[in-house]
Amino acid sequence: MILTDVLGSRVYGPDATYLGRVADARFVLDQPPPGQLLAGARLQGLIVSPHSAGSFMGYERNNVNRPWPWAQLLKWWHRGSFLVLWADIKVMGPETVTLREGFSAHDPGLEGAGTA
Amino acid sequence: MKRLLGVALGILTAIGGFVDIGDLVTNAVVGSRFGMSLIWVVGVGVIGICLYADMSGRVAAVSGRATFEVIRERLGPRAGLANLGASFFINLMTVTAEIGGIALALQLVTSVHHLLWIPLAAFAVWLVIWRVRFKIMENVAGLLGLCLVVFGVALFLLNPDWGQLAGQALAPAVPQTENAAVYWFYAIALFGAAMTPYEVFFFSSGAVEEGWKTKDLVQSRINVLAGFPLGGMLSVAIAGCAAVVLLPAGIEVTSLSQIVLPVAEAGGKLALAFALVGILAATFGAALETTLSSGYTLAQFFGWSWGKFRSPVRAARFHLSMIVCLLVALAVLATGADPILITEYSVVFSAVALPLTYLPILIVANDPQYMGTNVNSRTINVAANIYLLIILAASLCAIPLMIITGAGA
Repeated sequence: MILTDVLGSRVYGPDATYLGRVADARFVLDQPPPGQLLAGARLQGLIVSPHSAGSFMGYERNNVNRPWPWAQLLKWWHRGSFLVLWADIKVMGPETVTLREGFSAHDPGLEGAGTA
Repeated sequence: MKRLLGVALGILTAIGGFVDIGDLVTNAVVGSRFGMSLIWVVGVGVIGICLYADMSGRVAAVSGRATFEVIRERLGPRAGLANLGASFFINLMTVTAEIGGIALALQLVTSVHHLLWIPLAAFAVWLVIWRVRFKIMENVAGLLGLCLVVFGVALFLLNPDWGQLAGQALAPAVPQTENAAVYWFYAIALFGAAMTPYEVFFFSSGAVEEGWKTKDLVQSRINVLAGFPLGGMLSVAIAGCAAVVLLPAGIEVTSLSQIVLPVAEAGGKLALAFALVGILAATFGAALETTLSSGYTLAQFFGWSWGKFRSPVRAARFHLSMIVCLLVALAVLATGADPILITEYSVVFSAVALPLTYLPILIVANDPQYMGTNVNSRTINVAANIYLLIILAASLCAIPLMIITGAGA
Protein backbone atom coordinates (compact mmCIF):
# COMPACT_ATOMS: atom_id res chain seq x y z
CA MET A 1 0.00 0.00 0.00
CA ILE A 2 1.25 3.46 -0.80
CA LEU A 3 0.19 6.70 0.82
CA THR A 4 -1.86 7.81 -2.20
CA ASP A 5 -4.13 4.77 -1.64
CA VAL A 6 -4.94 5.99 1.85
CA LEU A 7 -5.42 9.70 1.19
CA GLY A 8 -9.07 10.45 0.54
CA SER A 9 -10.27 7.12 2.10
CA ARG A 10 -13.49 7.22 4.11
CA VAL A 11 -12.98 6.95 7.86
CA TYR A 12 -15.50 5.09 10.10
CA GLY A 13 -15.75 4.89 13.85
CA PRO A 14 -15.99 1.52 15.69
CA ASP A 15 -19.78 1.67 15.45
CA ALA A 16 -19.56 2.24 11.66
CA THR A 17 -20.46 5.94 11.88
CA TYR A 18 -18.95 8.01 9.10
CA LEU A 19 -16.37 10.44 10.48
CA GLY A 20 -14.82 12.01 7.38
CA ARG A 21 -12.00 11.43 4.94
CA VAL A 22 -8.26 11.02 5.32
CA ALA A 23 -6.83 14.43 4.41
CA ASP A 24 -3.21 13.90 5.38
CA ALA A 25 -0.76 11.64 7.19
CA ARG A 26 1.45 12.85 10.02
CA PHE A 27 4.98 11.47 10.29
CA VAL A 28 7.54 11.84 13.05
CA LEU A 29 11.24 11.74 12.23
CA ASP A 30 12.51 9.80 15.27
CA GLN A 31 13.77 6.56 13.77
CA PRO A 32 17.35 5.66 12.84
CA PRO A 33 17.91 6.74 9.20
CA PRO A 34 17.51 3.75 6.85
CA GLY A 35 20.32 5.03 4.65
CA GLN A 36 22.42 8.00 3.67
CA LEU A 37 20.34 11.14 2.95
CA LEU A 38 17.16 9.36 4.11
CA ALA A 39 15.11 10.27 7.13
CA GLY A 40 13.73 7.68 9.55
CA ALA A 41 10.03 8.50 9.42
CA ARG A 42 7.38 6.85 11.60
CA LEU A 43 3.68 7.22 10.89
CA GLN A 44 2.19 8.96 13.89
CA GLY A 45 -1.36 9.01 12.64
CA LEU A 46 -3.87 10.23 10.10
CA ILE A 47 -5.59 13.58 9.86
CA VAL A 48 -9.32 13.18 9.30
CA SER A 49 -11.42 15.98 7.88
CA PRO A 50 -15.24 15.71 8.14
CA HIS A 51 -16.00 18.04 5.21
CA SER A 52 -13.32 17.73 2.56
CA ALA A 53 -10.51 15.46 1.47
CA GLY A 54 -8.80 18.41 -0.20
CA SER A 55 -5.51 19.84 0.96
CA PHE A 56 -5.31 22.07 4.04
CA MET A 57 -2.46 23.99 2.37
CA GLY A 58 -0.64 23.62 5.71
CA TYR A 59 -3.18 25.42 7.88
CA GLU A 60 -3.90 22.41 10.11
CA ARG A 61 -0.44 22.58 11.66
CA ASN A 62 -0.47 26.02 13.16
CA ASN A 63 -2.62 29.00 13.99
CA VAL A 64 -1.57 31.19 11.06
CA ASN A 65 -4.50 33.35 10.02
CA ARG A 66 -3.08 35.11 6.96
CA PRO A 67 -3.44 35.93 4.14
CA TRP A 68 -7.03 36.97 4.64
CA PRO A 69 -9.43 35.53 3.39
CA TRP A 70 -7.71 32.31 2.24
CA ALA A 71 -6.59 31.21 5.69
CA GLN A 72 -10.11 31.69 7.10
CA LEU A 73 -11.68 29.96 4.09
CA LEU A 74 -9.41 26.90 4.31
CA LYS A 75 -9.85 26.64 8.08
CA TRP A 76 -13.62 26.81 7.71
CA TRP A 77 -13.51 24.18 5.02
CA HIS A 78 -11.64 21.81 7.32
CA ARG A 79 -13.47 22.69 10.54
CA GLY A 80 -13.78 19.77 12.95
CA SER A 81 -10.66 18.00 11.66
CA PHE A 82 -8.76 15.79 14.06
CA LEU A 83 -5.64 13.68 14.33
CA VAL A 84 -6.12 9.98 15.06
CA LEU A 85 -3.06 8.05 16.23
CA TRP A 86 -1.76 4.92 14.52
CA ALA A 87 -2.55 2.87 17.65
CA ASP A 88 -6.23 3.81 17.33
CA ILE A 89 -6.56 2.49 13.78
CA LYS A 90 -8.19 -0.94 13.55
CA VAL A 91 -8.31 -1.55 9.80
CA MET A 92 -6.43 0.46 7.20
CA GLY A 93 -7.87 -0.73 3.93
CA PRO A 94 -7.41 0.71 0.47
CA GLU A 95 -10.91 2.26 0.46
CA THR A 96 -11.86 2.70 4.09
CA VAL A 97 -10.21 3.22 7.45
CA THR A 98 -11.90 1.91 10.61
CA LEU A 99 -10.99 3.15 14.08
CA ARG A 100 -10.77 1.12 17.29
CA GLU A 101 -13.22 1.25 20.16
CA GLY A 102 -12.41 4.20 22.44
CA PHE A 103 -10.19 6.02 19.98
CA SER A 104 -9.29 9.60 20.84
CA ALA A 105 -9.46 12.53 18.43
CA HIS A 106 -6.48 14.86 18.91
CA ASP A 107 -6.04 18.45 17.87
CA PRO A 108 -4.21 18.37 14.51
CA GLY A 109 -2.09 21.44 15.33
CA LEU A 110 1.62 21.09 16.06
CA GLU A 111 2.79 22.16 19.49
CA GLY A 112 5.09 25.17 19.58
CA ALA A 113 6.53 26.45 16.35
CA GLY A 114 6.87 22.91 15.01
CA THR A 115 9.29 22.11 12.24
CA ALA A 116 8.36 22.15 8.60
CA MET B 1 32.39 47.95 -5.81
CA LYS B 2 32.05 44.28 -6.55
CA ARG B 3 28.65 44.29 -4.88
CA LEU B 4 27.56 47.32 -6.92
CA LEU B 5 28.64 45.55 -10.10
CA GLY B 6 26.67 42.51 -9.03
CA VAL B 7 23.55 44.63 -8.56
CA ALA B 8 24.02 46.35 -11.94
CA LEU B 9 24.58 43.01 -13.65
CA GLY B 10 21.47 41.58 -11.99
CA ILE B 11 19.33 44.50 -13.15
CA LEU B 12 20.69 44.42 -16.71
CA THR B 13 20.11 40.66 -16.89
CA ALA B 14 16.55 41.08 -15.65
CA ILE B 15 15.86 43.78 -18.27
CA GLY B 16 17.29 41.75 -21.14
CA GLY B 17 15.72 38.56 -19.88
CA PHE B 18 12.24 40.02 -19.49
CA VAL B 19 11.33 39.98 -23.16
CA ASP B 20 10.71 36.65 -24.90
CA ILE B 21 8.93 35.55 -28.06
CA GLY B 22 5.56 35.95 -26.31
CA ASP B 23 6.24 39.61 -25.46
CA LEU B 24 7.70 40.31 -28.91
CA VAL B 25 4.77 38.85 -30.83
CA THR B 26 1.93 39.94 -28.56
CA ASN B 27 3.15 43.51 -28.16
CA ALA B 28 3.68 43.92 -31.90
CA VAL B 29 0.28 42.39 -32.72
CA VAL B 30 -1.44 44.58 -30.14
CA GLY B 31 0.42 47.72 -31.28
CA SER B 32 -0.47 47.10 -34.92
CA ARG B 33 -4.17 46.58 -34.14
CA PHE B 34 -4.94 48.69 -31.09
CA GLY B 35 -2.21 51.36 -31.12
CA MET B 36 -1.24 52.21 -27.55
CA SER B 37 -4.75 51.68 -26.19
CA LEU B 38 -3.85 48.35 -24.52
CA ILE B 39 -0.49 49.43 -23.17
CA TRP B 40 -1.87 49.81 -19.65
CA VAL B 41 -1.99 46.00 -19.51
CA VAL B 42 1.82 45.86 -19.72
CA GLY B 43 1.92 48.01 -16.59
CA VAL B 44 -0.57 45.77 -14.80
CA GLY B 45 1.39 42.67 -15.87
CA VAL B 46 4.75 44.08 -14.81
CA ILE B 47 3.54 44.97 -11.31
CA GLY B 48 2.03 41.47 -11.09
CA ILE B 49 5.22 39.69 -12.10
CA CYS B 50 7.21 41.86 -9.65
CA LEU B 51 4.92 40.78 -6.80
CA TYR B 52 4.91 37.13 -7.82
CA ALA B 53 8.67 36.94 -8.43
CA ASP B 54 9.37 38.76 -5.16
CA MET B 55 7.26 36.26 -3.18
CA SER B 56 8.62 33.14 -4.87
CA GLY B 57 12.21 34.42 -4.75
CA ARG B 58 11.81 35.16 -1.04
CA VAL B 59 10.33 31.71 -0.34
CA ALA B 60 13.20 30.08 -2.26
CA ALA B 61 15.90 32.15 -0.56
CA VAL B 62 14.58 31.70 2.99
CA SER B 63 13.28 28.12 2.89
CA GLY B 64 15.54 26.76 0.13
CA ARG B 65 12.48 25.38 -1.66
CA ALA B 66 11.57 26.23 -5.21
CA THR B 67 8.01 26.73 -6.50
CA PHE B 68 7.01 23.18 -7.33
CA GLU B 69 8.47 21.71 -4.15
CA VAL B 70 6.17 24.09 -2.29
CA ILE B 71 3.17 23.24 -4.49
CA ARG B 72 3.69 19.50 -4.03
CA GLU B 73 3.99 19.92 -0.29
CA ARG B 74 0.96 22.18 0.13
CA LEU B 75 -1.48 20.72 -2.39
CA GLY B 76 -0.74 17.06 -1.81
CA PRO B 77 -0.11 14.49 -4.53
CA ARG B 78 -3.39 14.57 -6.49
CA ALA B 79 -4.22 18.27 -6.74
CA GLY B 80 -0.47 18.86 -7.09
CA LEU B 81 -0.27 16.48 -10.04
CA ALA B 82 -3.20 18.18 -11.80
CA ASN B 83 -1.44 21.49 -11.21
CA LEU B 84 1.83 20.10 -12.55
CA GLY B 85 0.06 18.70 -15.62
CA ALA B 86 -1.42 22.07 -16.57
CA SER B 87 1.69 24.10 -15.77
CA PHE B 88 4.00 21.65 -17.50
CA PHE B 89 1.86 21.49 -20.66
CA ILE B 90 1.81 25.27 -20.99
CA ASN B 91 5.51 25.47 -20.31
CA LEU B 92 6.16 22.90 -23.03
CA MET B 93 4.10 25.03 -25.41
CA THR B 94 6.29 28.01 -24.50
CA VAL B 95 9.47 25.93 -25.09
CA THR B 96 8.13 25.11 -28.56
CA ALA B 97 7.34 28.76 -29.26
CA GLU B 98 10.78 29.94 -28.12
CA ILE B 99 12.66 27.37 -30.23
CA GLY B 100 10.49 28.38 -33.19
CA GLY B 101 11.36 32.00 -32.38
CA ILE B 102 15.12 31.28 -32.49
CA ALA B 103 14.64 29.59 -35.88
CA LEU B 104 12.58 32.52 -37.21
CA ALA B 105 15.24 35.00 -36.07
CA LEU B 106 17.93 32.91 -37.78
CA GLN B 107 15.79 32.80 -40.92
CA LEU B 108 15.66 36.60 -40.93
CA VAL B 109 19.45 36.76 -40.67
CA THR B 110 20.28 34.08 -43.23
CA SER B 111 17.21 33.69 -45.50
CA VAL B 112 17.43 29.94 -44.85
CA HIS B 113 13.96 28.50 -44.08
CA HIS B 114 13.22 28.31 -40.37
CA LEU B 115 12.37 24.60 -40.48
CA LEU B 116 16.02 23.91 -41.31
CA TRP B 117 17.19 25.94 -38.33
CA ILE B 118 14.90 24.25 -35.80
CA PRO B 119 17.03 21.13 -35.14
CA LEU B 120 20.14 23.27 -34.79
CA ALA B 121 18.35 25.67 -32.44
CA ALA B 122 17.15 22.81 -30.22
CA PHE B 123 20.62 21.23 -30.24
CA ALA B 124 22.24 24.52 -29.27
CA VAL B 125 19.77 24.95 -26.39
CA TRP B 126 20.54 21.45 -25.14
CA LEU B 127 24.30 21.96 -25.45
CA VAL B 128 24.22 25.18 -23.42
CA ILE B 129 22.06 23.57 -20.73
CA TRP B 130 24.38 20.56 -20.60
CA ARG B 131 27.70 22.42 -20.59
CA VAL B 132 27.50 26.09 -19.65
CA ARG B 133 27.47 27.29 -16.05
CA PHE B 134 24.20 28.77 -14.79
CA LYS B 135 25.53 32.24 -14.04
CA ILE B 136 27.29 32.63 -17.41
CA MET B 137 24.29 31.29 -19.29
CA GLU B 138 21.91 33.71 -17.58
CA ASN B 139 24.10 36.80 -17.87
CA VAL B 140 25.20 36.39 -21.50
CA ALA B 141 21.63 35.89 -22.77
CA GLY B 142 20.31 38.75 -20.62
CA LEU B 143 23.02 41.23 -21.62
CA LEU B 144 22.74 40.47 -25.35
CA GLY B 145 18.96 40.78 -24.98
CA LEU B 146 19.60 44.42 -24.07
CA CYS B 147 20.13 45.00 -27.83
CA LEU B 148 16.31 45.19 -27.91
CA VAL B 149 16.72 48.73 -26.57
CA VAL B 150 16.97 49.51 -30.28
CA PHE B 151 13.16 49.34 -30.39
CA GLY B 152 13.10 52.31 -28.02
CA VAL B 153 15.70 54.16 -30.11
CA ALA B 154 13.69 53.39 -33.26
CA LEU B 155 10.56 54.82 -31.67
CA PHE B 156 12.39 58.14 -31.14
CA LEU B 157 13.89 58.09 -34.65
CA LEU B 158 10.42 57.56 -36.13
CA ASN B 159 9.53 60.92 -34.63
CA PRO B 160 5.92 59.99 -33.85
CA ASP B 161 3.12 62.27 -32.73
CA TRP B 162 3.84 61.81 -29.00
CA GLY B 163 0.64 63.56 -28.02
CA GLN B 164 -1.43 61.08 -29.97
CA LEU B 165 0.47 58.07 -28.54
CA ALA B 166 0.15 59.39 -25.01
CA GLY B 167 -3.53 60.10 -25.61
CA GLN B 168 -4.13 56.50 -26.68
CA ALA B 169 -2.16 55.18 -23.73
CA LEU B 170 -3.68 57.40 -21.06
CA ALA B 171 -7.30 57.33 -22.23
CA PRO B 172 -7.63 53.77 -23.50
CA ALA B 173 -10.63 53.01 -25.68
CA VAL B 174 -11.59 50.19 -28.02
CA PRO B 175 -10.67 51.30 -31.58
CA GLN B 176 -13.64 51.60 -33.95
CA THR B 177 -12.29 48.85 -36.18
CA GLU B 178 -12.26 46.29 -33.32
CA ASN B 179 -14.94 45.01 -30.97
CA ALA B 180 -14.81 44.87 -27.19
CA ALA B 181 -14.43 41.06 -26.95
CA VAL B 182 -11.33 41.13 -29.16
CA TYR B 183 -9.94 44.04 -27.13
CA TRP B 184 -10.30 42.10 -23.88
CA PHE B 185 -8.96 38.91 -25.46
CA TYR B 186 -5.76 40.75 -26.37
CA ALA B 187 -5.68 42.36 -22.94
CA ILE B 188 -5.50 38.84 -21.46
CA ALA B 189 -2.90 37.75 -24.02
CA LEU B 190 -0.71 40.74 -23.14
CA PHE B 191 -1.17 40.03 -19.43
CA GLY B 192 -0.19 36.37 -19.99
CA ALA B 193 2.86 37.46 -21.99
CA ALA B 194 4.06 39.74 -19.18
CA MET B 195 3.19 37.27 -16.38
CA THR B 196 4.28 33.93 -17.85
CA PRO B 197 4.48 31.22 -15.15
CA TYR B 198 7.87 29.92 -16.34
CA GLU B 199 9.48 33.22 -15.33
CA VAL B 200 8.65 32.39 -11.74
CA PHE B 201 9.62 28.70 -11.92
CA PHE B 202 12.94 29.81 -13.35
CA PHE B 203 13.40 32.70 -10.93
CA SER B 204 12.75 30.63 -7.80
CA SER B 205 14.77 27.63 -9.02
CA GLY B 206 17.54 30.02 -10.06
CA ALA B 207 17.60 31.34 -6.49
CA VAL B 208 18.30 27.78 -5.31
CA GLU B 209 20.86 27.24 -8.11
CA GLU B 210 22.75 30.34 -7.07
CA GLY B 211 22.47 29.47 -3.38
CA TRP B 212 20.61 32.60 -2.26
CA LYS B 213 20.23 33.11 1.44
CA THR B 214 18.19 35.57 3.48
CA LYS B 215 20.99 38.16 3.21
CA ASP B 216 20.65 38.17 -0.60
CA LEU B 217 17.01 39.26 -0.42
CA VAL B 218 17.78 42.95 -0.86
CA GLN B 219 19.68 42.32 -4.08
CA SER B 220 16.96 40.04 -5.42
CA ARG B 221 14.37 42.70 -4.69
CA ILE B 222 16.40 45.36 -6.49
CA ASN B 223 16.82 43.06 -9.51
CA VAL B 224 13.10 42.48 -9.70
CA LEU B 225 11.87 45.98 -8.91
CA ALA B 226 14.30 47.71 -11.28
CA GLY B 227 14.83 45.08 -13.95
CA PHE B 228 11.28 43.95 -14.68
CA PRO B 229 9.74 47.44 -15.07
CA LEU B 230 12.62 48.49 -17.34
CA GLY B 231 12.10 45.24 -19.29
CA GLY B 232 8.44 46.19 -19.50
CA MET B 233 9.54 49.45 -21.13
CA LEU B 234 11.08 47.36 -23.93
CA SER B 235 7.67 45.73 -24.43
CA VAL B 236 6.06 49.16 -24.61
CA ALA B 237 8.65 50.29 -27.18
CA ILE B 238 7.91 47.23 -29.34
CA ALA B 239 4.19 48.00 -29.22
CA GLY B 240 4.91 51.69 -29.85
CA CYS B 241 6.94 50.95 -33.00
CA ALA B 242 4.11 48.77 -34.30
CA ALA B 243 1.55 51.46 -33.46
CA VAL B 244 3.48 54.15 -35.33
CA VAL B 245 4.41 52.21 -38.48
CA LEU B 246 2.21 49.14 -38.86
CA LEU B 247 -1.17 50.46 -37.63
CA PRO B 248 -1.47 53.35 -40.14
CA ALA B 249 -0.31 51.06 -42.96
CA GLY B 250 -2.93 48.48 -42.03
CA ILE B 251 -0.31 45.73 -41.57
CA GLU B 252 -1.36 42.94 -39.19
CA VAL B 253 1.57 41.11 -37.64
CA THR B 254 1.84 37.48 -38.70
CA SER B 255 5.61 37.11 -38.96
CA LEU B 256 8.82 38.18 -37.24
CA SER B 257 9.89 40.27 -40.26
CA GLN B 258 6.92 42.56 -39.68
CA ILE B 259 7.89 43.03 -36.03
CA VAL B 260 11.32 44.39 -37.03
CA LEU B 261 9.99 46.43 -39.97
CA PRO B 262 9.62 49.68 -37.97
CA VAL B 263 13.21 49.31 -36.67
CA ALA B 264 14.54 48.89 -40.21
CA GLU B 265 12.54 51.89 -41.40
CA ALA B 266 13.78 54.08 -38.56
CA GLY B 267 17.41 53.08 -38.27
CA GLY B 268 18.37 51.12 -41.37
CA LYS B 269 20.68 48.11 -41.44
CA LEU B 270 22.60 48.84 -38.25
CA ALA B 271 19.44 49.15 -36.17
CA LEU B 272 18.05 46.04 -37.81
CA ALA B 273 21.23 44.14 -36.91
CA PHE B 274 20.83 45.17 -33.28
CA ALA B 275 17.18 44.14 -33.31
CA LEU B 276 18.04 40.74 -34.75
CA VAL B 277 20.81 40.10 -32.21
CA GLY B 278 18.39 41.20 -29.48
CA ILE B 279 15.60 38.93 -30.69
CA LEU B 280 17.98 36.00 -31.08
CA ALA B 281 19.35 36.52 -27.56
CA ALA B 282 15.89 37.04 -26.08
CA THR B 283 14.40 33.92 -27.67
CA PHE B 284 17.50 31.84 -26.98
CA GLY B 285 17.63 33.00 -23.38
CA ALA B 286 13.93 32.27 -22.95
CA ALA B 287 14.34 28.87 -24.63
CA LEU B 288 17.00 28.04 -22.02
CA GLU B 289 14.78 29.29 -19.20
CA THR B 290 11.66 27.44 -20.35
CA THR B 291 13.52 24.19 -21.05
CA LEU B 292 15.15 24.37 -17.62
CA SER B 293 11.74 25.20 -16.12
CA SER B 294 10.27 22.01 -17.57
CA GLY B 295 13.05 20.03 -15.90
CA TYR B 296 12.72 22.01 -12.67
CA THR B 297 8.96 21.54 -12.34
CA LEU B 298 9.07 17.79 -13.03
CA ALA B 299 12.09 17.12 -10.82
CA GLN B 300 10.80 19.25 -7.95
CA PHE B 301 7.41 17.59 -8.02
CA PHE B 302 8.70 14.02 -8.18
CA GLY B 303 11.57 14.62 -5.79
CA TRP B 304 14.40 13.94 -8.26
CA SER B 305 17.75 15.57 -7.71
CA TRP B 306 17.89 18.64 -9.91
CA GLY B 307 19.90 21.70 -10.73
CA LYS B 308 22.70 22.82 -12.94
CA PHE B 309 24.92 23.11 -9.89
CA ARG B 310 25.01 19.30 -9.98
CA SER B 311 26.80 17.54 -12.82
CA PRO B 312 24.39 15.85 -15.30
CA VAL B 313 25.31 12.41 -13.95
CA ARG B 314 24.09 13.50 -10.50
CA ALA B 315 20.80 14.83 -11.88
CA ALA B 316 20.19 12.32 -14.66
CA ARG B 317 16.38 12.38 -14.70
CA PHE B 318 16.35 16.17 -14.62
CA HIS B 319 18.56 16.32 -17.72
CA LEU B 320 16.78 13.45 -19.46
CA SER B 321 13.39 15.10 -19.01
CA MET B 322 14.70 18.28 -20.61
CA ILE B 323 16.05 16.33 -23.58
CA VAL B 324 12.63 14.69 -24.01
CA CYS B 325 10.91 18.10 -23.83
CA LEU B 326 13.22 19.48 -26.52
CA LEU B 327 12.49 16.46 -28.72
CA VAL B 328 8.73 16.95 -28.26
CA ALA B 329 9.08 20.64 -29.17
CA LEU B 330 11.11 19.62 -32.23
CA ALA B 331 8.44 17.12 -33.27
CA VAL B 332 5.67 19.72 -32.97
CA LEU B 333 7.61 22.29 -34.98
CA ALA B 334 8.55 19.67 -37.59
CA THR B 335 4.87 19.38 -38.51
CA GLY B 336 5.20 22.89 -39.95
CA ALA B 337 3.08 24.48 -37.21
CA ASP B 338 3.55 28.26 -37.25
CA PRO B 339 5.70 29.34 -34.26
CA ILE B 340 3.98 32.76 -34.16
CA LEU B 341 0.59 31.06 -33.84
CA ILE B 342 1.91 28.71 -31.12
CA THR B 343 3.21 31.79 -29.29
CA GLU B 344 -0.16 33.52 -29.47
CA TYR B 345 -1.88 30.50 -27.94
CA SER B 346 0.85 29.95 -25.33
CA VAL B 347 0.47 33.45 -23.84
CA VAL B 348 -3.31 33.01 -23.47
CA PHE B 349 -2.93 29.59 -21.82
CA SER B 350 -0.27 31.08 -19.54
CA ALA B 351 -2.95 33.41 -18.22
CA VAL B 352 -5.29 30.43 -17.73
CA ALA B 353 -2.76 28.48 -15.63
CA LEU B 354 -1.45 31.36 -13.54
CA PRO B 355 -3.72 31.02 -10.44
CA LEU B 356 -2.61 27.39 -9.98
CA THR B 357 0.88 28.37 -8.98
CA TYR B 358 0.18 31.84 -7.62
CA LEU B 359 -2.08 30.91 -4.71
CA PRO B 360 0.22 28.29 -3.09
CA ILE B 361 3.13 30.73 -3.23
CA LEU B 362 1.00 33.47 -1.66
CA ILE B 363 0.05 31.12 1.17
CA VAL B 364 3.58 29.86 1.85
CA ALA B 365 4.94 33.43 1.75
CA ASN B 366 2.66 34.01 4.76
CA ASP B 367 3.76 30.96 6.76
CA PRO B 368 6.08 31.98 9.62
CA GLN B 369 7.27 28.36 10.04
CA TYR B 370 8.91 28.67 6.63
CA MET B 371 9.60 32.35 6.38
CA GLY B 372 10.35 33.44 9.95
CA THR B 373 10.27 37.22 9.99
CA ASN B 374 10.33 37.42 6.19
CA VAL B 375 6.61 36.76 5.77
CA ASN B 376 4.60 39.04 3.48
CA SER B 377 3.95 42.49 4.88
CA ARG B 378 0.35 43.68 5.09
CA THR B 379 0.85 45.96 2.07
CA ILE B 380 2.16 43.08 -0.04
CA ASN B 381 -0.78 40.94 1.05
CA VAL B 382 -3.30 43.59 0.01
CA ALA B 383 -1.59 44.00 -3.37
CA ALA B 384 -1.24 40.21 -3.76
CA ASN B 385 -4.96 39.72 -3.05
CA ILE B 386 -5.93 42.37 -5.60
CA TYR B 387 -3.72 40.60 -8.13
CA LEU B 388 -5.23 37.27 -7.24
CA LEU B 389 -8.60 38.67 -8.29
CA ILE B 390 -7.14 40.02 -11.54
CA ILE B 391 -5.39 36.72 -12.24
CA LEU B 392 -8.57 34.72 -11.51
CA ALA B 393 -10.65 37.00 -13.75
CA ALA B 394 -8.13 36.71 -16.60
CA SER B 395 -7.92 32.95 -16.13
CA LEU B 396 -11.69 32.42 -16.17
CA CYS B 397 -12.38 34.75 -19.10
CA ALA B 398 -9.49 33.62 -21.33
CA ILE B 399 -11.01 30.51 -22.89
CA PRO B 400 -14.58 31.86 -23.35
CA LEU B 401 -13.13 34.99 -25.00
CA MET B 402 -10.88 32.83 -27.15
CA ILE B 403 -13.92 30.91 -28.41
CA ILE B 404 -16.12 34.00 -28.91
CA THR B 405 -13.46 35.93 -30.81
CA GLY B 406 -12.02 32.99 -32.76
CA ALA B 407 -8.68 33.59 -30.97
CA GLY B 408 -8.73 37.30 -31.74
CA ALA B 409 -9.35 36.92 -35.48
